[in-house]
Parts: sequence; structure tokens; C-alpha cells
Amino acid sequence: MSTTLERPALAAPRKVTSSKDSRTLIRSQARAGWALLAPALLHSAVFIVIPVIAVLVLSLTDYSFGDTWSWVGFGNYADLFRDVDFLASLWHTVLYAIVVIPISMAISLAVAIGLNQKIRGLGFFRTAFYIPTVTATVAVATIWLWIYNPGSGLANGFLSLFGFAPNRWLADPATALPSLMVVGIWQGLGTKIIIYLAALQGVSRDLIESAELDGAGRWQRFANVTWPAIGPVQFFVLITSIVGTFQVFDLVYVMTQGGPGSETRVLVMDIYQNAFQDLKLGYASAETVIMMIVIALFIGVGRLLQKADAND
Amino acid sequence: MTSVSLPAAAAAKPSVLRPGRILLYVVLTVGAILMITPFVWMLLTAFKSNLEIAKFGWLPSELRWRNFVEAMQTAPFLTYFRNSLFIAVGETAFTLAVCTTAGYALAKLPIRGGKTLLNYFIVLLLVPFQIILVPLFLIVKSIPLFGGNNILGHGGIGWLNSWWGLIIPLGAAPLFTFLARQFYVSLPDQLAQAARVDGLGEFGIFWRIMTPLIKPALITIAVFQIEAAWNGFLWPLMITTSDDLRPLQLGLAIFSQNPAEIQWPYLMAGTALATLPMIVLFVFAQKRFVEGMANVGIKG
Repeated sequence: MSTTLERPALAAPRKVTSSKDSRTLIRSQARAGWALLAPALLHSAVFIVIPVIAVLVLSLTDYSFGDTWSWVGFGNYADLFRDVDFLASLWHTVLYAIVVIPISMAISLAVAIGLNQKIRGLGFFRTAFYIPTVTATVAVATIWLWIYNPGSGLANGFLSLFGFAPNRWLADPATALPSLMVVGIWQGLGTKIIIYLAALQGVSRDLIESAELDGAGRWQRFANVTWPAIGPVQFFVLITSIVGTFQVFDLVYVMTQGGPGSETRVLVMDIYQNAFQDLKLGYASAETVIMMIVIALFIGVGRLLQKADAND
Repeated sequence: MTSVSLPAAAAAKPSVLRPGRILLYVVLTVGAILMITPFVWMLLTAFKSNLEIAKFGWLPSELRWRNFVEAMQTAPFLTYFRNSLFIAVGETAFTLAVCTTAGYALAKLPIRGGKTLLNYFIVLLLVPFQIILVPLFLIVKSIPLFGGNNILGHGGIGWLNSWWGLIIPLGAAPLFTFLARQFYVSLPDQLAQAARVDGLGEFGIFWRIMTPLIKPALITIAVFQIEAAWNGFLWPLMITTSDDLRPLQLGLAIFSQNPAEIQWPYLMAGTALATLPMIVLFVFAQKRFVEGMANVGIKG
């Protein structure tokens, strides 16, 4: 990191500084640098790095807030694979991710392409699509809880317009999880649209125009110029979506509490209950480690897909 | 769709494209309506009487502003609101202080291993909150000399159920350090050099010369942090036990889980209270949100 000194030296080559002077200068700058960096380093070490290590260690113990605890090796992991609640949570979370991520990415990209067509009212549309994202998930969940109300909610009111019978939505095991997915997709569009829109605006005009001159149709221009150009951004959106969908909790907590039965139980909810209601911290930590592995697997698959796409 | 744009076709373009344009506007408008309708529905419900919500309908027969007053009396929404405000402001101040200093040091000062440190923050930026949930609780519980703890962090509750615990652990996210660094990096080094020649110290250069120049970045960071703090739920749920500290989202969730009888108009009034400040913030700071997202998404 010597750029700080190189550039001024180039700008004023005649200025002669003794090497001793410049060394004390570097040293005083470095000292200031460490002082400025110290709070962030301390904070991240205490509240991120140590917890990440701790979760790995805790997962091998039966710690439960008490004074006595013991190592249990991989016992927690073995138990987890016989725990029906955990398996249901894992399955629902994976299902939620597999459904929500591609649909929300596809809709967001389509809307972003639409917004990128030099349309009028861009500000209005952008605001409309982004509002659900800036709204707290708890508030969003509360609103949708009322929308899905079987008695006089908006969802059934809407169905009745077309003469359909009312649905029980969150109370029906068959529709509970899909109903949550709809809200998840709805709320997550805004961020993705804005990132896609910025990426689309960054695609070189020259490239598109030269493709047009070469006789490429609209679809060909999209497939051969735009799509490859937004590849890295796609990957970024994918990773944040994976992490985001695995984080789903607020929505489920407010709307279904994991029910009916355990039809909408998700991983973070299971971890939360194991840790803070049943006080099984070691067990909950093992669950967290498995979640980390599943997230890593998802990201790995995403990476493979991106590579395969880039090689086409 | 695949019309090859020969010169003749290009001339006729505006009229040829028209139906497509109209379709585009229709689709986008329907989309925008789908996004906004739930909020409109929320507001309309907040004005209705319990009788009116018994069956589906759109407009309230009159604007019952008293619903808002009564909602405040049913649950301590005003206390929740104040707590949310306090957490948002505290966390934002803390984040700005920690992340600008660190971002500046990473961008401009010759620290040995600076590149490694930058990578360290980038890796941490990828650690999702749900991963550290359980141990973070234990760490916050064992902060030494707080909440009845001894110097080793035993015996008390540490930062649990305290403003410290609500504000400090989730503030200063590595994302914001990285974001601040990205903005400082783009400032010319000559500025700092000139100030140095004038005899200004390193902290003075950081505080008086460089930081005022990245004001847009500070606003971006503040806006994102305010939003994150205002909307947080799981962490306050884990560490608070009293209404005196609970933020609005938590209060709302508790109110909505009351199995006895959910008062929908009151609940929607409370929800409006929880959503409107952030919507207003977004509408006013839209540019910052958009630029910030684009910066993180595209440079990151």
C-alpha cells in the first residue's frame, strides 16, 4: 500500500525528501492508520470472527447455558439426522430457496429490462417496486397476514371477483408454504431490480449498436451482448438471494409460526427454538453448521451454473 | 421481436414499436399496482371499524382517525416507536464513526498488510447473521463488567436487555467499512499531501479534508443503516425482555400474535406507523439508495 507516496512523488519529482524524513512520515501515517482501524478490527473480531469459530466449537458440545458441559463429538449431528423437525425445516428452507430465487431473479431482470427502455416515469416505477424492500419484514408479514385472512382478506376478495371459492391460504397445509413464497418473492424484487438496472445501464452502448449493425435481432443482442455482460452481477444477485432466502424467519414467525403442523417450519426458526426455548445451544450450533454447508453447496452450484453459462 | 433493422425498417420504427411500448407500460403499471396495493389496503383498513372488516370491502365509510389513538392505547406503540428511533440513531452514529475511520485507513494510509485487511473485511461481509446467532448471544451475555458480570464476564446478563446490546453488536457492519473505503479510494492523494505540507496531522486530514468530500457516501451509509436498524426483528426478539427497550417491529409482532383477538384496524394502524417512516425516507433519499445498491452490487 505505498500508492499514497508514489503519486505525489510523481507529481512533484523535483522535491527532494531525505529517505529518513519519508520513513518517519510513513511510520506516523501507519500509526494513524492502525489507530483508525482499531475499533473496526476489534468490533469485527468480537462480534463476527469469534462467533463463527464459536459456533463450530459449540456444535461439538452439549452446552446449554449451565456450568457443566461436555464434548459430544459429532453426536449432535447424528441426532439431527433423526430429528423430524430439523429435517422438515431443512426441506422447507431448501424448497423455499429453490422456488423463490429463480422466480424473483427472472421477474426482476424482466422488470429491469423494461425500465431500461428509456420509459417515462422511471422514478415512479422504481419507487413502487422498491417500497416493499424498504419496509420491515414484520410489517410486510402483518399486512399479508391480513390479506390472507380467510374471512374478509384481500386475497379471497380478489378470488371472488373471478368467481373462485375462497381459499384458506396460510391455514391450509397445501397452500401455506406457497403463500409465504409469494410474499418472499414480492418483497425481494426491489433490490434485485435496482442492481440489474444499474448493470444494464453499464452495458456498453457501442457493443449493442455494433451488434445491431451486424444484423443481430433484439433477442440475439440480448443473448450475445447483454446477458454475458451482466454475468458477474447475476452471480452477486444469486449469492445475496441464497443468503437472504436461508435467512427467512420474520415472515414465518409472524404469519404462521411454522404451522399448520410444521408445514412452514424453516431452519432459522428451528435454530431459534432449539437455542432459546429448549436451551440446547450445542445442538442449535450443529444445526447452524449444517446450514452453512448447505448455503455453501448452493453457492457452489450457482458458481458451476455461471461457469457453464460463460463457456457457452 | 426479431425484425432485422434494415434502413427502411428503422425509419418506420416509432409506429411499429408502438403496440410494444403500450404493452410495456401496461405490464409495468400492473406490476407497480401489485407492489403498492398491500400498503393501500393497510391504510384503508386502519380507518375501518370492526364491523366493516367483518366482510371484504375497499373503502372505509369514514376516516376513523381515532383508530390510531386507540391503537396507541391498546399497545405501547409510542414507546416502541421511540425505541426504534433510538436504536436507529445510535446504531447509525456508531456505524458512521467506526466505518469511516476504518474505510479511510484501508483506502489511504500505508498500513502493512493493508490488502490482507481489506480482504478480511470483504470475507466478513459475506457472513450472514443467522450463522452467528447462537454464539453472538453468548458473547453479548458475557461482556465483562456490564449487567452484573464480573471481569471475566460471569455472573450477570452482560449486554442482554440493554441499549448497548441492541445497538453495538449489529452496528458497524463490514459492508459499510467496505463501502466507505470504496469512496475514499476515489479521492486524489494530492489533497492529503497538500494538507500534510501545510502541517495538518493525519487525523485532521481524515476529519477536516477527506471526510467532508465523501458526504454522499456518508448519507448512503446512514440511510442503509437506519433502514437496517429500523427493520431489525430477530436480534431484539432474542435479547430484550421488557417493553421499555423493544423496538416497533417486535412490538408489532407481539401484538399480531395475540391469539385472543386480533384487532385488525389497530394492527394496521400500528403497521402504518412502522412502515411509513421508511417509505418517506426512501422517497426522499431514493438517489442514495439506488447509487448505494449499484455501488455494492457492481463494484462488489
